[in-house]
Order: sequence, then structure tokens, then C-alpha cells
Amino acid sequence: MNQTPLSRRRFCQLASSGLLLGPSLMRGQSSPTRLTAREVVERIRKNVGVPWRTPTADEFKIGDPDAPITGITTTFMSTLDLLERSAAAGNNFVITHEPTFWSAADVVSDLRDDSLYRHKVNFIEKHKMVVWRFHDHWHARRPSDGIFAGWNRAMGWEDYRVKSDNPFSIQYVIPETSFEELARDMQKKLKLRSMRLVGDPKLRVSRVGNGGHYILQCMPQLPKVDVLLVFEGREWEAPEYIRDAIAAGEKKALIQLPHQGGEEAGMDECARWLQAFVSEVPIKFIPSGDPFWIPI
Amino acid sequence: MALPMLTGQVLLDRIQKNVGVPWQSQRSDGFSDGILHGSADTAVTGIVTTFTPTLEVLRGAVASRKNTIICREAPFYSRGERAPLFWRNSPAPPKEMTDNDPVCRAKQDFITQNNLVIIRLVENWDARRSDGQLRGLVRALSWEKFHVPAKSLDEYDPRNVYFQLRKNSLGRLAQDLQTKLKIHGVRVIGDAVSSVSNVALTHGLLLVADSERMLREQGLDVVIAGDAVEWEAVPYFADLVTAGKVKGLILIGQQASEEPGGGEMAAWLKSFISEVPIEWVPAGEPFWVLS
Repeated sequence: MNQTPLSRRRFCQLASSGLLLGPSLMRGQSSPTRLTAREVVERIRKNVGVPWRTPTADEFKIGDPDAPITGITTTFMSTLDLLERSAAAGNNFVITHEPTFWSAADVVSDLRDDSLYRHKVNFIEKHKMVVWRFHDHWHARRPSDGIFAGWNRAMGWEDYRVKSDNPFSIQYVIPETSFEELARDMQKKLKLRSMRLVGDPKLRVSRVGNGGHYILQCMPQLPKVDVLLVFEGREWEAPEYIRDAIAAGEKKALIQLPHQGGEEAGMDECARWLQAFVSEVPIKFIPSGDPFWIPI
Repeated sequence: MALPMLTGQVLLDRIQKNVGVPWQSQRSDGFSDGILHGSADTAVTGIVTTFTPTLEVLRGAVASRKNTIICREAPFYSRGERAPLFWRNSPAPPKEMTDNDPVCRAKQDFITQNNLVIIRLVENWDARRSDGQLRGLVRALSWEKFHVPAKSLDEYDPRNVYFQLRKNSLGRLAQDLQTKLKIHGVRVIGDAVSSVSNVALTHGLLLVADSERMLREQGLDVVIAGDAVEWEAVPYFADLVTAGKVKGLILIGQQASEEPGGGEMAAWLKSFISEVPIEWVPAGEPFWVLS
């Protein structure tokens, strides 16, 4: 899947770290790169700008944190496909924003007899991979939420952000356009395949609000915006709310993004941020991508 | 002997008598089945069944002189849960938020001014031995002839979700669902050209535990559901496809997956209510997609 040929630079990096040699040749040699996943996480904790919270989802999910790493992949979600691509790229440490084992807390006690779980674990163990989740503290990062810093950059909307102290009220004033043109622009910039829309395609729009996941975040914002963005929201919440707003005569619209569309770009930002204090191994953002497509 | 006047309460009593399962009326974590809005003493002038009582559905009901709406989803964009269910949804907005929200107020005013009665009927309807939501969906797709017979179960027992279709590609199957259900936002995981035949057809929100249970059926190619959580069953299926264990997942949307059941509910209500007209009014898909 999307296997990237080794670049010359990458080959030199691997060669110097001893990773292109067989395990027997490596034994006993002192490699110049002995960085471990745990050491990377220690540096993240020092650089994130907020005290480390407990409990947190930001923990090692699988693999040996004290084994040397070959390279770092940052991604939105550590799907099996992503892990395969990361292994092919030579990166055995995966920093994922979202879960690995299909629940918010990566609970695996119910999955012992699940053949897919065993398949995924076997792949990870076979390739000596380590997976660490970076969710809570990347959102809490100072001076700004790392996820939305990346999203703003991907959209080119850094200068359109409306100043607000409320972290759950992210609003933008963009150059006026039609709702459909806005949706097309977003689809292209965020590499989306499964965007769903509510509202008049010709509606002129300029004020855009990020409604996050929840109706609780949407309601206070709607009076201030033309378009709400929601990602990973339940269908009985924002879509029905906006449908009724339009029926009541309001000029509003909704873009329902896949969860990835709302947050993936933030892990591209994470790779750039890591490069400031991790230089021993290559660091690459590899998108897990929109999981869906829609037949047209 | 004349029947008592059909009020909201009499209607609810009759539903309880006919539903065929012990009535569950208490939920600690959200709305219970029963009257959500309006007075139990209101005389019922006509009944609309629908997936969700949108403002358009309510206007249509009033225009056709029906003042009672029986629905699955509640009118104010929340299932009433006080706590989020594992962050799958938000807790119910506080009353001061909905009281001050212009959309909620417009809808509330419409409900009050027209003396509407809004009745939620979900848990008890779904607890019946024969799954009306599944039956409605099967009929909407004309898939009766493909239903895999299950011994000693009701034809539409909620567990009897397997269908053996004529061989098709995953992409063509998804398009077929779009056409038959008149919807746009059908989200697919899997390779469009994969050949598929054995399908599990479900409605509502798909969880990982449901998926594991269905996958015990040998040779299952595709699961169809309404919606799924994007850090739960969605990546679970993405991983299943990568591992070659299944061909795909098709999410048709909550509305599309639950709507046809409203037609079944209307037909069922007619079997014991004859005083007033009863009509199934689909709320329709909320979404459109870019072409």
C-alpha cells in the first residue's frame, strides 16, 4: 500500500543507524541512534507547555517504549493500513491522535478472542512497532491547540480566526463565497471524500464556526455564523438543528466532515513541532485519510 | 359501546396494550418512550409517524389536520441523555440554552400554538419479537426474496439480518441503496470493485460488539448500518478490510436506516386505531453531497 521507495537520504539514515543490517550483525555494535519512544515522550512532555494531566488517554498502547526507534510517524489514526505504511516507510514509532483498538480508552480486555485484534497485534509485534497516543495534551498545547493550529494552516485560515477566549468557540471570517464553493475548497484542502452538506448551495457565506462534535457546542455559535462545521457528530444533533433553522427561515448551512477532516491536519503540525526537539530519527506525517467514500 | 375519546393518554394506553412486550417506561440515561411534548388530555385528531419531527414534518401534520406525531428522535436535537454515552454524543443542552435558542424557540412555539402532542416510541417498538424497523427497510429495498431463512425465529427477528444477494460489486450495491432509498450521503468503506453477495442489514448505530457478533456468520461480505462512531466501528471495519476479513461497510445514515420503519409503525397502529387518520410522513434525508 503506497510503499515509498527509499530515498537516498533515508537510505543513509538507515545505514548509519544500523537498521539495514541483519539483527546478528547489529548485536554488540553501538549504534549512534539509541533514541527510545519513552525518551521522545519525555521531550514532548517538556515542550507541550502545560502540566501533564492524569488520567489521560496519552499513553503507550502497545509495544516496548524502551526499545530503540527507527523513525516516527505522526497520524490521525493508527489503522492497520496506516501501520503497514509506517512500517514500509521504516518508522516503527507511531504517534496517533485517535485510538488503535476501536474504543476511546483502547480497552482490549473484550478483544482477546477477536481475530482482527490478534491480526493487528501480530503485525505490530512482528515489526517491533510502538504506538503512543497524543490526544489530550496536543489539544491542550500552549500557546495554541496543536490540532487546530494545523487545521488553520491546512485551510490557509490563520488570519481569518476571530479572537476568542473560549476554546470551544472557534470562529472565522473568510472572504465571502457561496456555500458550495466553500465546501469544494474545504474538500480539496482537507483531502475529503465523505463530506455531507445541509443548506442552500448558493447561500452567500463568510462567517464560519467550528461546532466540534456536539449540539452543545453548536447552539451557542449558530447566531454568530453562516456556516457551522461539525465532525464526528451524531446525525440527530447538528444536521437536524440546521435543517430546522433553515425551515424557520434562517440563512444557515452545515458541513458535516468526517472526524479526520476536522483534525487530521493537526498531526501534520505535530510532525513539524516534533522536528524542533527530535533530530536523531526521521519524522513523517502519514495521513490515515478519510475512511469513507461516497458513490456519486 | 362507544369507545372513550382518543386522547394522547388513551392512545398511549392502547399502544401499551398492543405492543406485546412488557412496557419499559423508565430510563435513567435519557428520554423514555411516552409523551415528550403536549398534553396527555389533548384529543387526537390524527397521527403522523416519522423518523424525526422536523419543523417541516410538523407543518405538514398541521396542514393535514393531524395533531399527534409518533417518532424515534426527539424534536430538540438531543436524546435527552444527561451524560454522554462514551463521548458518542453530547449531554442534553441545558434548558436555558434551548429556551434562548432561536431555532428551538420557533419550533417550541409551533408545537404550543398548534397544540401538538409528540410521542416517542423507540425502546418498546424495538423490543418486539418482530423488528418493524428491519421489515420496513427490507421492504423499501425489495430484498424479501434474498432474506436468509432462520429456523425457529420470526422472519424479522432482530437477529435475522442476513441476506444473500445476487453477486454485485460493492460500488454497485452502494449505488443501488442510494437509488432505492432516494438518498445521497451513503458512506462506504472498502474497494468499489470488490465482489459481494452476503450482506448483514441493520439499522441505527453500529457498535463493535454488534459487528463481532455478525462476523461470526461465515462468509459475510458487507455490513450495512445507519451510522457508526468514527473511533469505534468505523476503523474496526477499515482494519477488517485491510486484513482481508470482510469486503466493506456501508453507512446509509440514521435517517435512511430508520425511516421505513415508520411505515410499518403506521400500518401496525391502524390495526387497533380506527377513529383517526394515520399517516407515515418521511422526514427525508437532511444531507446533500458534492458531485
